[in-house]
Amino acid sequence: MALFAVFQTTFLLALLPLRTYKSEVLSEPLPLTPESLKVSVNSTRQRLHLQWTVHSLAYHQELKMVFQIQISRFKTSNVIWVENYRTTVKRNRVLHWSWESKLPLECAAHFIRMRSMVDDARIPKPGFWSNWSSWEEADAQNSLGHDPLFVFPKDKLVEEGSNVTICYVSRIHQDNISCYLEGVQIYGERLDRSVSAFELKNVSFIRKKGTNVFCKVDQGGALGGIVLFVSKVLEEPKDFSCETQDLKTLTCTWDPGSDTGLSKQPSQSYTLFESFSGKKTLCKHRNWCNWQVAQDSQETYNFTLVAENYLRKRSVSILFNLTQRVHPMTPYNLFPKNVRATNATMTWKVHSIGNNSTLLCRLELLAEGKVIQQHNVSIKVNGEYLLSELEPDTEYVARVRCAYTNHFWKWSELISQKFNTAEAAPSEAPDVWRNMKMVSGHPTVSLFWKPLSKVHANGKILFYNVIVENLDKPSRLEVLSIPAPARSTELTLDQCSYQIHVTAHNNVGPSPASVIVISGDPGNEEVESGRVNGTEDGFSVSWKPQSGDATGYVVEWCDGPQDLPCVLQWKNLGPNTTSTVISSGAFRPGVRYNFRIYEISAKRMAHLLEKKAGYLEELAPSDNPQVVMSNLTSHSFTLSWKDYSTESQPGFIQGYHVYLKPKAGEQCPPAFEKTVLPEDSVCCKHTIDNPEQKTFVVENLQPESIYEFFVTPYTSVGEGPLDAFTKITTPDEYSHILIRIILPMIFCVLIVMIICYLKRQWLKEKCYPDIPDPYKSSVLSLIKSKMLLKL
Amino acid sequence: MLPAAGEPAAGDSWGMLACLCAVLWHLPAVPALNRTGDPGPGPSIQKTYDLTRYLEHQLRSLAGTYLNYLGPPFNEPDFNPPRLGAETLPRATVNLEVWRSLNDRLRLTQNYEAYSHLLCYLRGLNRQAATAELRRSLAHFCTSLQGLLGSIAGVMAALGYPLPQPLPGTEPTWTPGPAHSDFLQKMDDFWLLKELQTWLWRSAKDFNRLKKKMQPPAAAVTLHLEAHGF
Repeated sequence: MALFAVFQTTFLLALLPLRTYKSEVLSEPLPLTPESLKVSVNSTRQRLHLQWTVHSLAYHQELKMVFQIQISRFKTSNVIWVENYRTTVKRNRVLHWSWESKLPLECAAHFIRMRSMVDDARIPKPGFWSNWSSWEEADAQNSLGHDPLFVFPKDKLVEEGSNVTICYVSRIHQDNISCYLEGVQIYGERLDRSVSAFELKNVSFIRKKGTNVFCKVDQGGALGGIVLFVSKVLEEPKDFSCETQDLKTLTCTWDPGSDTGLSKQPSQSYTLFESFSGKKTLCKHRNWCNWQVAQDSQETYNFTLVAENYLRKRSVSILFNLTQRVHPMTPYNLFPKNVRATNATMTWKVHSIGNNSTLLCRLELLAEGKVIQQHNVSIKVNGEYLLSELEPDTEYVARVRCAYTNHFWKWSELISQKFNTAEAAPSEAPDVWRNMKMVSGHPTVSLFWKPLSKVHANGKILFYNVIVENLDKPSRLEVLSIPAPARSTELTLDQCSYQIHVTAHNNVGPSPASVIVISGDPGNEEVESGRVNGTEDGFSVSWKPQSGDATGYVVEWCDGPQDLPCVLQWKNLGPNTTSTVISSGAFRPGVRYNFRIYEISAKRMAHLLEKKAGYLEELAPSDNPQVVMSNLTSHSFTLSWKDYSTESQPGFIQGYHVYLKPKAGEQCPPAFEKTVLPEDSVCCKHTIDNPEQKTFVVENLQPESIYEFFVTPYTSVGEGPLDAFTKITTPDEYSHILIRIILPMIFCVLIVMIICYLKRQWLKEKCYPDIPDPYKSSVLSLIKSKMLLKL
Repeated sequence: MLPAAGEPAAGDSWGMLACLCAVLWHLPAVPALNRTGDPGPGPSIQKTYDLTRYLEHQLRSLAGTYLNYLGPPFNEPDFNPPRLGAETLPRATVNLEVWRSLNDRLRLTQNYEAYSHLLCYLRGLNRQAATAELRRSLAHFCTSLQGLLGSIAGVMAALGYPLPQPLPGTEPTWTPGPAHSDFLQKMDDFWLLKELQTWLWRSAKDFNRLKKKMQPPAAAVTLHLEAHGF
């Protein structure tokens, strides 16, 4: 028995340390070295992928561990990365870890090793690190060829704004290798005797065919390059919205932003997900997509639009009720029916939505581009509305759009239709006036009328009817039909009184008539004349009414200057007016306009009331009068310009200025005062303030002196243009005596002398006859002859 | 539509090119065989010469646009990269003595074969082009180049030379290198355009030489008589 107890105790005692030993195993675990380390290289993603296991874990044991991973580049001593990776480890479960290298993996050999430590809360600290595993090499360079220069990363796709490291590997001397980004040289860092790297910060999109980076050996043939594909950053779709036209198909639209497509990456794709039904569809277009509405009448939709390219994914969501997104189709067949002069019925149709839905349609009427009427009409399929208060012969545009009555979302597109209302008879009598003159002894009346405005014409005016009724011989009626667009006609009358009716006619009928009465008597031309002042707005003309029963007044004038044929204008005024403002675009400054004011009696006869003349703006006279000098004496001379017309000047002539330039140093004659001319010469001036006085005697002058004179008219604005002065010289004081007396005397003496010379014989005989010489007498000769005979 | 991206399936596209080129080889023969009653080779040589000048002019603007599309340094005037992948492009430059000594048949054959190759490659270029405008310009140029091939075929037929048949294995194929990158592709495109330019320049000289050779002897006699006749 005791032996058995001894054996039991010994056995138990022996077991105890074993148990303790076992628990010691748990409390102080052996280091768990990572094993079966395998490194793989993903050159495209520039990633090193590591996988390993921890064999020495007990079965079913799960431990939290931390692995310290070291990465070296070029050589194992050049550690570039250390990271602690924490994970739960199970026996024989393969662990994974990856690391992205900024430098393309082809440019350098990379080495990895790791060690581990238990990091579990169940195990009391401190743990200790295992041994380092041996360096595993990740060599991406064994696939390089025999060329002297290689550039990496090949055909990399990055997003705009990212940083990229470019490197080259050369088998030749590096000093004469230069690298260029888009033709511009870049400078980098030498990492090794055959490797250099270049950091490109914040790369931007240049073109779809990518950005070219190349390196070449100076003065050599070797060249290597890469194309870096820089993609625009994929934007979140904007303005994502869905709507339906018929409750059967939903159309979703959005703004896709910039296209991220390159030759390396297709344009971003769009996919539509609906969360309640779990369905999705790939959109064929980049900014819209159709979705078939399910027959099970799903009311609420939660759509997510996903934009995706190789680099990025973006999404946007909306939640809505189907019936709150109805955008009806455009109405159709909008036609006017029963179009009259002042009303028209519009009809149109709409596409039905669902079963028995009503649409609210808005009908608008436009005239000259402006909305003048708006009406709301609720319809199911066919719409009809009577538009009234329209103008005859006018072009209108009717337009309709509709919206879903149950829940307003958007108006449909507009449909428009032009139409014209029918013509109606003109609504107003034409404005008629007359001008009377005598032609070869017969009174001739020129009738003028103004064309009716569109508002009153109610259609195209085709002709005017002029009915001339002889009031003295009532049976005589003359009807003239004058086709439009004539605006006047002439009638030859006699001394009788005539009543003239003028009507304007369009396709529908005549306008009310304008009536004027013309008496045979030409009327009194001797009326009050006055002046009117012109202002910016025109002429303010006023008059005194003569008789108390005037039915109206007419102010008549010619639009152009007096020397041109008269373009007759008139203004018709009501009975109680005594003034008006006459304005016309044809009024010009410096032109005299003559206004004649007529009073229209109850019998429709016009008689002249007043005459007014005025200038819109007076100007200075445009020319000077032709001055004739006469009666020149040694102390005076007379100037006259009787032919000068004061009516045809560009202002009311108020008088004349007579300028006189006396002999140098002389004072001005008494009637004159000293003045200075514009060119700074001193002169004498006399003002005549009566425009009708057209002669002037310049007196108190010095004889034998040179005077210069010049006459110019003046208006309220100024005087006429400064012309050349005319020179005259006053004759000598006595010279007139000389001329008047002595010269005639000499002339008489000469005459006498000539007469005396001619009649000298007679004179001689009369005044101093010769003493007769007896020896020369005839008696003697007679005696002599008698004696001879006797002998 | 942009071409599907991913790693360029280079083997596939070049195989397609080879197939296309085989078709292209036989195509110009058809119009050539339809010719009846030729007035002589002179007018068609002149036409071919004119066509090469026209294509030269067209290529100048096309190359400018395309090289700008590739981006610098390809559009720089003094860019001269090594001919790596473009070894299979037919070379226009040849020793002057060799060129002079070519007989008419060989001269025409070389031209015909060169343009057939170049047209093939150009069509491949067209398929890769990303913009519609560029594809239009390339397509237009390819049509003109096809016209030139037809014209050369016409001259060969008029002179009684048979059209060169593609021997099996000599069809233009190109096996891409182990890592045919986009940059190398751009360099190939560059060399294609450059070689095309050189070929057109050379063809103008070839056809000018042929034109002079083909001038009828009667013209020489007429000249001779005229010289003595005055």
